[in-house]
Amino acid sequence: MALLELNGVSRHFGGVRAVDSLDLSVQQGQIFGLIGPNGSGKSTTVNVITGLFPPTSGSIVFDGRDFGTLPTHLRLGRGVARTFQNIRLFGQLTVWQNLWVAQNSPADRARRGFLSRWLGGQGGVRDEIVQLLEFSGLARKADELAANLAFGEQRRLELARALATRPKLVLLDEPAAGMNSEEIGLLRDRILKIREQGVTVLLVEHVMELVMGVTDRIAVLNFGQKIAEGTPAEIQADAAVRKAYLGGEAA
Amino acid sequence: MLDFLQSLSDGILFGATYALIGIGFTLVFGVMHKLNLSYAAASVGGAYCGLLVLKLAAGAPALVVFFCAFLAGGVIGLFVYLACFHFIPISNPLAALMATVGMLLLIDEIIVHETDGMPLNYPALFDDVMLRFGEFTLRGDLLMVFAVSIVCMAGLLALLYRTRLGLATRAVSQQAVAAQLCGIRVARVNALTFIVTGLLGGIAGAMIGASVGTLSPLLTTPLTTKGLIVTVIGGLGSIPGAIIAGLLVGGFESVLQQFRGVTERDLYVMLLLFVFLVFRPGGLFAPRGGRD
Amino acid sequence: MDFYFGLAQIIGVHTLLGLSAYIVLLTGQVSLAQAGFFAVGAYVAGMLTVIAGWAILPALAVSSLFGAVVACAVGFPALRVKGLMLVIATLAFGEAVRLFFFNFDYQVAKGGVKLGPLGGEGFRQIRYFPEHGWTTMDVMLFIWTLVALAMGLLWWFDRSRYGAVLRAVGEDELAAQSVGINLTAVKVSAMTIGGAIAGLGGGIYAHYTTHIEHASFGILLATFALAYPILGGLGSVFGTVVAAIFVQGFLVEGLRFLGDWRNLLFGALIVLAMNVRPKGFLDAPTLLWIRRLFGGRRGAA
Repeated sequence: MALLELNGVSRHFGGVRAVDSLDLSVQQGQIFGLIGPNGSGKSTTVNVITGLFPPTSGSIVFDGRDFGTLPTHLRLGRGVARTFQNIRLFGQLTVWQNLWVAQNSPADRARRGFLSRWLGGQGGVRDEIVQLLEFSGLARKADELAANLAFGEQRRLELARALATRPKLVLLDEPAAGMNSEEIGLLRDRILKIREQGVTVLLVEHVMELVMGVTDRIAVLNFGQKIAEGTPAEIQADAAVRKAYLGGEAA
Repeated sequence: MLDFLQSLSDGILFGATYALIGIGFTLVFGVMHKLNLSYAAASVGGAYCGLLVLKLAAGAPALVVFFCAFLAGGVIGLFVYLACFHFIPISNPLAALMATVGMLLLIDEIIVHETDGMPLNYPALFDDVMLRFGEFTLRGDLLMVFAVSIVCMAGLLALLYRTRLGLATRAVSQQAVAAQLCGIRVARVNALTFIVTGLLGGIAGAMIGASVGTLSPLLTTPLTTKGLIVTVIGGLGSIPGAIIAGLLVGGFESVLQQFRGVTERDLYVMLLLFVFLVFRPGGLFAPRGGRD
Repeated sequence: MDFYFGLAQIIGVHTLLGLSAYIVLLTGQVSLAQAGFFAVGAYVAGMLTVIAGWAILPALAVSSLFGAVVACAVGFPALRVKGLMLVIATLAFGEAVRLFFFNFDYQVAKGGVKLGPLGGEGFRQIRYFPEHGWTTMDVMLFIWTLVALAMGLLWWFDRSRYGAVLRAVGEDELAAQSVGINLTAVKVSAMTIGGAIAGLGGGIYAHYTTHIEHASFGILLATFALAYPILGGLGSVFGTVVAAIFVQGFLVEGLRFLGDWRNLLFGALIVLAMNVRPKGFLDAPTLLWIRRLFGGRRGAA
């Protein structure tokens, strides 16, 4: 069953077609890779899906319902979480608070009353947050200010914050940028674990080492258009993809 | 009808000073993305400094007073920059804003302290000239105020669009980081922006003094509000917007003063602002929204 | 002693004013409208006790409610504009409120005397406290009880998820939206709570000065409201109290012996303070240090 479907989605900025009639279909439980050279429209796609920009045309269907012009925070309520290419944490909040803030999901709402959700102390949510902290290897940093974390820790915290919203789909915008290969290996394991928990992953990435090793299916963007889609093996063999990445007369 | 035209034209002529104040706010915003709340007070302060000339040489011509106000405005501008912006980290916009409030209070108090809070007479040019067209008149001093303001605006636009300094200023206002990478010293451009707006402010203060006939510390608060309103109506960061909005606000308040009285006048100016905020929040000349 | 009680009253009311700006500032909104809400509270409470003859507590409750309602109504349209536009929009709102009271007449004859607001003349004879035999100390204790309640409320917020959400919105609206936070709801809620606190403060102010006029609620008061939390630091509600004591106790009263020069020093000290401590007296590292000093450890403990 398709969890996320983009039907002919375009997003233009003035004359620039950042995304041009893009069709995507991400299945439930998949790890779907979205790759492409710089400026090919990957980040814009993420921003259109999360509702930061309305699409110029086309529709986005998530979990069987059209997103329409739903604002960002309500899309999250339907189960779409994300991380940012240039990490955006709440730097002056502690690690713990960063995760606490994210507990806005319908599941949280169903379980806990309005007052306990907003004005209750930290006790009621301890177990879930501790679990997330352990998953991200941040258990000993709970009381640090997010701004004081090392770069790698900030990335892990951002991922944990996305998971704290109990998403069905998580969009990872270049999570491996600036990581060494050991860290990429750990990130790979973490992404696989996320899928085991039943969360679908849309991975936007440059680092081929990660994308090829972890995804089930890949779509390649160039100049806002999809130029190829297939399994990692198919993509590696695709002539158009090579051309887009290595440059060429038709690119 | 004649009353209407008369107050409208008087207001538009006087509105040129609002335009100058609005330009000062808008220019600092455009370049630094900061609000300098002390600007109107600094402008009035510059105008007061112009009066010092009369202390040294009684009977000095009005033009000398204006020129000294102009120079003093520039010096105060640089001082404000150093005290409120240069040493405060960019990541603390609130601190810089608060510092300009402190500066507003400081300048206000210096004026009150030096003048015992009493209004001072301000010299004008052509205040005995009156152009008559039947019942309709144009006051010579207001025409002078308008002309001086227009000359200053033309000078500013020439500076921004015809010189390397202007180019650097516009570069910083669009992309401070990129400008820095191109070898533009951002701190220097910022300081120069404050000097230039200070010069404009000094002349604006002098023109207000000249057209009202007196200067008083009570001017600073309403002038701050008017200047900010002009900035918003014109579109934050837009110089032509500030000019047109200044004339518009000047004309508007003058007409309402004629028909609704001086105590209600400013209430309607606020309403005008709200109308803009609701229906055209970007102002007359909203800067084009870019990607991201 | 009465002098110190009177000073404590002023500090208390200004603390409330500062707290009303504090909660709005947490969401990253710079509002110069707080003096306007304060003015609304002052006039409403004054009219209720003087004209309608209400007791002080219900009058303050209603003035606080009025402050909240007005703030909520201002919040919805005003919070659509951001940053500096909001500063200017709220400044204009505050000025509009002031000008409204400048033109506002509503007088009722009571026992041969006309009572109530009279435009530029102001609103005199708000004499609930003296008429009911409250001493300066009674009033001071009454004010500080309410201040303590407001501080307790905000302090509680700060320890709850709501407080974290307010700060999250203040730091990064985009990221906050992306974790499912409804920006409008959060910002308007902060504005409303701020309005309630300002309305309460205004109501008290009207009663201890006994005479209010439009000129007291100008831009200067609005900037004072902002000055307390910014000078004190947004790390904790206590910063606002410290700043109110510093400004009203030290700068205004303590330096009185300097005569005229006091006012000069006042602005200069604010400029200096912002250069030396751009994040306020009690910034996050200082607070963390204090907390560790007392051996407190949150979260994992």
